Amino acid sequence: MLSIQNLTVNHGTLTALSDVSVSIQAGQWLMIAGANGAGKSTFVHAIAQSVPYQGVIRYQRRDLKTMRPNEIAREIAFLSQRHQVNYAFTVEEVVTLGRFAHRQGFFSATDSQGERKVHAALEMTGMLALKDQSMLTLSGGEVQRTFLAQVFAQDPNLIILDEPTNHLDLKYQKQTFELIQEWITQPNRAAVSVVHDIGMARAFGTHAMLLERGKMIAYGDNRTVLSRNNLMNAYGMDVEGWMRTILAQWEA
Amino acid sequence: MDRRKRPFRWTAYALMLLSTIAILLLCVCMGSVNIPLADTLTVIWNTLWGRPIPQGMSRSIILLVRLPRVLSVALCGVSLSLSGAAMQGLLRNPLADGSTLGVSSGASLGAILAIAFGLTIPGVSYGGAMAMAMLFAFLSLVFILTFAYRLDHSLATNTIILIGVIFTMFAHSIISLIITFSGDKVKSIMFWTMGSLAGSNYQNALALLITLVLCGALILSSSRELNALAIGEDNARYIGVDVKRVKLRILIASSALIGVCVSVGGTIGFVGLVIPHMTRMLVGPNHRRLLTASMFGGAVFLMLADLAGRVLLSPLEIPIGVITSLIGSAVFVYIFYHTRKAR
Amino acid sequence: MKKNKALPILLTIVLLVAQFSGVAMGETNETIYLTDMKGREIVLEAPATRIVVLTPSDCEILYAIGAGETLVGRGEYCDYPADVNEIPVVQSGAQTNVEQIIALQPQVVIMSTMAQTVEQTEAMEAAGIKVVVNDAVDIEGVYQAISVIGAVTGMNAEADALIERMVNTFGEVAHKTSGESGKTIYFEVSPLQWGLWTAGSGTFMDELASMLGLTNAFADVQSWGEISQEQVLMRDPDYIVTISMYYGEGPTPVEEIVSREGWQDLKAVKNSAVINVDSNEISRPGPRLMDAVNTLYQIIYEPETLAPAA
Repeated sequence: MLSIQNLTVNHGTLTALSDVSVSIQAGQWLMIAGANGAGKSTFVHAIAQSVPYQGVIRYQRRDLKTMRPNEIAREIAFLSQRHQVNYAFTVEEVVTLGRFAHRQGFFSATDSQGERKVHAALEMTGMLALKDQSMLTLSGGEVQRTFLAQVFAQDPNLIILDEPTNHLDLKYQKQTFELIQEWITQPNRAAVSVVHDIGMARAFGTHAMLLERGKMIAYGDNRTVLSRNNLMNAYGMDVEGWMRTILAQWEA
Repeated sequence: MDRRKRPFRWTAYALMLLSTIAILLLCVCMGSVNIPLADTLTVIWNTLWGRPIPQGMSRSIILLVRLPRVLSVALCGVSLSLSGAAMQGLLRNPLADGSTLGVSSGASLGAILAIAFGLTIPGVSYGGAMAMAMLFAFLSLVFILTFAYRLDHSLATNTIILIGVIFTMFAHSIISLIITFSGDKVKSIMFWTMGSLAGSNYQNALALLITLVLCGALILSSSRELNALAIGEDNARYIGVDVKRVKLRILIASSALIGVCVSVGGTIGFVGLVIPHMTRMLVGPNHRRLLTASMFGGAVFLMLADLAGRVLLSPLEIPIGVITSLIGSAVFVYIFYHTRKAR
Repeated sequence: MKKNKALPILLTIVLLVAQFSGVAMGETNETIYLTDMKGREIVLEAPATRIVVLTPSDCEILYAIGAGETLVGRGEYCDYPADVNEIPVVQSGAQTNVEQIIALQPQVVIMSTMAQTVEQTEAMEAAGIKVVVNDAVDIEGVYQAISVIGAVTGMNAEADALIERMVNTFGEVAHKTSGESGKTIYFEVSPLQWGLWTAGSGTFMDELASMLGLTNAFADVQSWGEISQEQVLMRDPDYIVTISMYYGEGPTPVEEIVSREGWQDLKAVKNSAVINVDSNEISRPGPRLMDAVNTLYQIIYEPETLAPAA
């Protein structure tokens, strides 16, 4: 579905990503892991066309640079995990905006499936009962679910999730991942997500990519990539050993 | 379905239109000179149906003084609140407005430069000032926003207001400098720093109307995009909004609206701040309702402010800018206090 | 320009006091005692020979009584008579610069109340400069200002002669126009584009109107004020006097007024009674008020003596 060739991103003189090539097939869920500053978010922003890059990113053989924003949005959805809404929009208003790219025409925009998709998305994320609530009154988890519902309403074939703001979001993260796991079972769908938590990556991903200082140091099947050795290289410490120790403390 | 989410029904539009027309008639009927209601209505009615009107003072005052003035005031109110609502959505900031951002001062500077250097457009009275006011409104907006983004990518309220204040001071110091060097034309220039719609004529109303139709269409057709931008710029990009193009479209339309208002009436502060804010409290933040409701609200507010200015101290006039700034600064403090407390 | 209502009354009292206590004391042994228009008592060893004048009207008075050669510095707006252009300029009004004035080493500075702060006055007095404040708000006040300047320069006789000339001129006009004509006049201080400002009661223009046998259409306005356009249309004045300046481009002030929408039906416009007067002549409390009155008299009562307008 998505093929990325020789992706390089420079922030001034600093190289944030250098020569990354991956491809994502239907049914796959690619986990991107690495220490802070490894280039994980830059990778997502490049796909979203919000940073300038060298190399080619193709979706179904079409270069993303040649596609208009609404054409991309009909195929690829992005879920940011940082939200600050300033105005009292309702949950349903935010979710309905997911249909933006599907509206045809200029003044009399029509979207025959819109209402049904919005309803389904609200239902799937458990936000149906809260649909008339103001965004300003929601809890952090509810806000997160609202934007996930927006992504579902957008009805893409590929969902790309940026990394969560902090580890305290673990519960929401799990909820989100479970919903994506359900969503991805339909044919011709795939997901990419940036993760902090290696346990989550192992539990949900099919494939993984490890980044270190802008370079791809491992890529492939989830189990193989997230090996003890690879993680040591990526994080500069024995993540697995440390996690085992922590776990042992919990069980004691 | 919640009533706050959909565009207004035609009945709501009809109601808003009727009340705006009612206020317009009230403002034409009332004024510093008392003209019997029957006379006023006869003059208006006969004009509407093309019947002959008895010549005289009432006719002059109603058709040639009050009506063009009230029309210009209403159109300025519509333009200013529409541009304010659009900018508040675009910048996700309820305090954004031509006067708080310093765009109005930038527009004044443009108009003053046109007058000081004698830039004119043949055949259009004050065309040079109008064009320069629009151009400078746009340039100021681009400058202010570029600077604000550099300082603080999230465009926090404090950053924007601070830059607006500094830019206003900068524009005013340049204006003072021009006044110092232009000697004779000082008086003509002073006008652009105060707000007055007292001498508005039909040409002014026409210029306002044309700009409003063009820019209003641009802004109103972008209401979905404005909703997306008001929720978040990244989110807007993700759902397929061409963010750069929409931003440019809104900025051009807003600054043209501010520019034409400044060139016709000088700086009339805070209308674009107060009206969209109050409207948002009534109809919610969805721009499909907010934009149209703000337009009607702006027209009504400014017409009533002007009426107060004309009637309260008759035969003296209170400049309209004084009245709007009095109300506006109070509302500004209220919003600022509440947005800060919410953090 | 806006003044307190109490001010004219206060000033009248001050003037009365001044009349009896101050200037009347005159000169003995060359020492001059005088009271300025703020009631401040000033003692001069001898008639001043180096004077800085900040206000245009005082500057005109100084020249009119033949004391022009005592002027060593002038406020930036002092531009009449043409001779003053050779005198060094100092900043005046809100920008009054004490350093500039002290550098000119005058014995006396003549200014209006608006021109300086208390601190600035004190600084100048500390530098040995006598500060004389003139602040005429009516024609009586102009006479008073002339007396004060005459006393400062030791030219009392010339000052009295000038006052007499003004009294005679004004009296003559008032006599010729005696009896109310019943006609009204509207003074336009600021044109429509910037908001109409007019001169109401308690202004020079109001006094000139009654001298000319006319009624100020806006006598109900105290001093200066911004008025509604429709009020002008309703009051339909017989004469419109604009003091706008013409800078050589666009319509002249008179052309602009007669072309205003809705103004065509006004008596003043129909009868071509819209008059442009030099704003400096009519708004400066100085001897040129005589010129303003004569010009207006001629236009209003003897239009046939004027060359036909272009």
